[in-house]
Amino acid sequence: MVQAAEFALLSSSRGLNQRTESGVIMVISESLQTTNIISGAIEAPRYSCALGGAYSTAVGIFGVVPILHSGAGCGIGQLFGQFYGGGQNAGGPYGGTSTPCSSLVEEHVIFGGEKKLANLIESTVELVNGELFAVISGCVPSLIGDDVGSVIRRYKEKNPNVPIIHVNTSGFAGTSYDGYEYFFDAVIDQLLEKAPKEKGLVNVFGIVPSQHIFWKGEAREIKTLLEKIGLKANLIVGEFDALENLKKIPAAEYNIVLSSWIGHKTANKLEEKFDTPFISFPGVPVGPKQTSEFLRVVGERLDVSANIIEDLIAREERRAYRFAEYIGDILLIVRPHPYLAVVADSNAAVSITKYLANEVGYLPDIVQITDNPPEEARELINEELTTGLETPAWPEIIYEVDAYRIRQNLKDRNFLFLLASSLESNIAGPEFNAIHLTVSFPSYDRVVLEHSYAGFSGGLTLLEDIMSKYAGPL
Amino acid sequence: MSGTELTENELIEERIDLSRATCPNREQRANGINVWYGKASNLVKEARSGCLRQRERNFQQSSGCVLNFYLSVRIGTIRDAVAIYHAPVGCSSSALGYRELYRHVPVELGRPANYDLHWITTNIGEKDVVYGAGEKLGAAILEAEKRYNPKAIFILTSCTSGIIGEDIEGVVAKFQPQVKATIVPIHCEGSRSKLVQTGYDAFWHAVLKYLVKKPEKKQKDLVNVASMLSYTWQDRLEIKRLLGKVGLRVNFVPEFASVEQFEQLSEAAVTAPLCPTYTDYLARGLEQEYGIPYFLYPSPMGVAHTDEWLREIARHTGKEKEVEALIKEEHEKWLPKLKAIRHEFENFKGNGEKVEVLGALGQGRLLAQVPYFDELGLKSSAAMCQDFDNLILKDLEKLLVQMGDFDILVNTFQAAEQTHITNQRDPDIAMTCPFQGGAFKRDKGVTRVHALRSDPHPWSAQSGYTGAIAFGNFLLQSLKSHSYQRTMKEKTQSTYKDWWYRQPNSLYYLQAED
Repeated sequence: MVQAAEFALLSSSRGLNQRTESGVIMVISESLQTTNIISGAIEAPRYSCALGGAYSTAVGIFGVVPILHSGAGCGIGQLFGQFYGGGQNAGGPYGGTSTPCSSLVEEHVIFGGEKKLANLIESTVELVNGELFAVISGCVPSLIGDDVGSVIRRYKEKNPNVPIIHVNTSGFAGTSYDGYEYFFDAVIDQLLEKAPKEKGLVNVFGIVPSQHIFWKGEAREIKTLLEKIGLKANLIVGEFDALENLKKIPAAEYNIVLSSWIGHKTANKLEEKFDTPFISFPGVPVGPKQTSEFLRVVGERLDVSANIIEDLIAREERRAYRFAEYIGDILLIVRPHPYLAVVADSNAAVSITKYLANEVGYLPDIVQITDNPPEEARELINEELTTGLETPAWPEIIYEVDAYRIRQNLKDRNFLFLLASSLESNIAGPEFNAIHLTVSFPSYDRVVLEHSYAGFSGGLTLLEDIMSKYAGPL
Repeated sequence: MSGTELTENELIEERIDLSRATCPNREQRANGINVWYGKASNLVKEARSGCLRQRERNFQQSSGCVLNFYLSVRIGTIRDAVAIYHAPVGCSSSALGYRELYRHVPVELGRPANYDLHWITTNIGEKDVVYGAGEKLGAAILEAEKRYNPKAIFILTSCTSGIIGEDIEGVVAKFQPQVKATIVPIHCEGSRSKLVQTGYDAFWHAVLKYLVKKPEKKQKDLVNVASMLSYTWQDRLEIKRLLGKVGLRVNFVPEFASVEQFEQLSEAAVTAPLCPTYTDYLARGLEQEYGIPYFLYPSPMGVAHTDEWLREIARHTGKEKEVEALIKEEHEKWLPKLKAIRHEFENFKGNGEKVEVLGALGQGRLLAQVPYFDELGLKSSAAMCQDFDNLILKDLEKLLVQMGDFDILVNTFQAAEQTHITNQRDPDIAMTCPFQGGAFKRDKGVTRVHALRSDPHPWSAQSGYTGAIAFGNFLLQSLKSHSYQRTMKEKTQSTYKDWWYRQPNSLYYLQAED
């Protein structure tokens, strides 16, 4: 009989407590090698399944029509669980109940769902406006052994001009983050062909639609920044012209990955297949310091003139810090040098904590990382959240996906702010006496359309959001 | 078409067999279908003669399953319980709003200040699919007990747990002796049925089998009301207000109820519906097992139906006189307001024509809405409903006698079909579920069928007398601006190609019968 041992497995935190040089406890996890190591039960984890991630990626690239080869509830489930959770977004023209779905039931479990899928593909292409059709397999076809690949091959033989791919995944094949990689894996294998390199063209990966709640605003800001230094940025997510953008992926001179681990599989595969080198950052840059560093590194790799970069940084910094003067009073009079707790995916956790610690004087007390990054990435994340911080005491870093333990870990601390998800919106005040802001998935209490904290002025936007939670007459 | 008429016994499998692990599917239990378009009179005829058959479509859209339509977002609201999803991690992501549900209801309106809801996923992975996940489920049960000491632990199954053949009853038998909580397994594998309503029956089956206790005493003033979250907090308050005025108390289950409230279902005087098709299995089960009378029609929507609903309850509680006095008092207060709304609708077009509305959602709402719209002076020559089964056949027949014929599109959230019928019918007000695809992009009125969550604002009420007035005003409001839907129609691309709107058949992709 398995007792709590099974649960111990899922805790990737509190492994080896290593004492760092400064005497601050840093928590390094036990040997966690892959993204799928969590095998036990979990209380309310902050992500969905691989199908959910592949599906929200497809819906997040405007012009892709997802076709779910799955049970009928997968689309609606992800509408509630991914799209609403990702900042209360509707499914849009191809998500939720607009998504074609083979709606498999018992008879297909017995007789197979291939015929049904073949019919669905035919009718979808006939009926639905779209540029690329992406069949995404769920649990049922994986369990019953449907040969989806051959259904699609047969369709392609008859209809060579219809762009269609198969994202061969399932609900039990991983998390939303894995689903993002599965989507691009299918694009690379089934859609992309070698193309001559285009000077100045860069692809950007690592931002997962819905799962990273500020994905649209982040993509737009990064595109603008890269364009300002003369590069052509292919963000793919949050952009129109899906097919054209996906097809030009191999032509890029460089791939930029804005995550310590998500998008790395995709970037590695593109390097192998199309010789595109990549460079990665721990997250989307927030505020002037991170954004300047981002631009300098990118500029150096892509031979952008240092003058262009430095001119831009000088102009943008001047403006951002002139505006930062405006927060001086509410910061210093009301909540100066506050202790801070963060519960977020690794991208947001690193960028936001660094900004607040390094530019606003916040004191990070605890950072809980909820997206279960692999071991290699944890080393980098730990470094970012220790030596990367200009702060006298390093935060405790915990990798945790279980909602119960995340809540336990927040007890008996003295943080004033809890930057987390909407799961914390109702407990932050009564249980921790902290001011709460949702900065991470799920975000049922915040509508997020274009908002983001990316770029030079992104830090100010973050401060507006935090301070609006407690602002009053000074 | 002209076969002999089926008896009630042949139309519905009435006996509820609690010795089984779960209910029969709605397909078997009451010949449920979710594809049909035509005259309601023909639907009734086909159903009555046993000719009505489920048919296949060549184009389908995601529409919800037995687990992920209702159960995944609602079972977690039961207060002193833990829900365990025996499923891959994505099947429960829709439950991630659990800590926020009901929090917008002010404590002053009756929400308890302190409560905590919990759910766990067994997170079935690739290895479990091969080796089984029963031990993980057991570990989750023990952990749920350890963490929260709940009164009940619900287990919700999934396509995957079903297809890999997990022995749920075996796990329950093995672990029940180790925990104080009552373990309640709900067989809601998404792939078991095409009809999302099977999920209701599967849930009530588990409640009846595991949670409801033998009555210790009869509570003659207690009325069971199964209330879905699509009925708002204000609807609850209205029902409490009305029944409270005649000295009756309400036992609202399942959402936000305590486990004790389930245990006491057997002690009530009567089970009354908000939605008949939702309440059906519970009501029949309570009658069969504990002799609690029930009725399924009408629902308390609109003035006339609220009157009848109250009278039905009065019959079982000996409150006939009090209820008649109540009805009289309420009519005096609300009928002038209803008249004013009716007047406004009647004059809206200015040419004597009625305002046309395309509404409904579930088959229960269909029965309630059509007469209510008539009360408001609206015309509903067509309605849509998610599915249809013989459980409402008699009541639909009654409705036809009362209201005359109308068209019905039976489909579970098929957005392309709904967009098509909305476009073709071009009603003044198209009512939509909050997530029904692109049907809202049009030149005329659009509004929602109901609030999706427990909206506490009086403006969102639909039940009882206050609800009849509030909903009437709500519908009037929908006629006052078309700017969002019109702008979206003009400025965004349609999901479907133009030919779809030019051809006449909403069920264009219906497969020919074999």
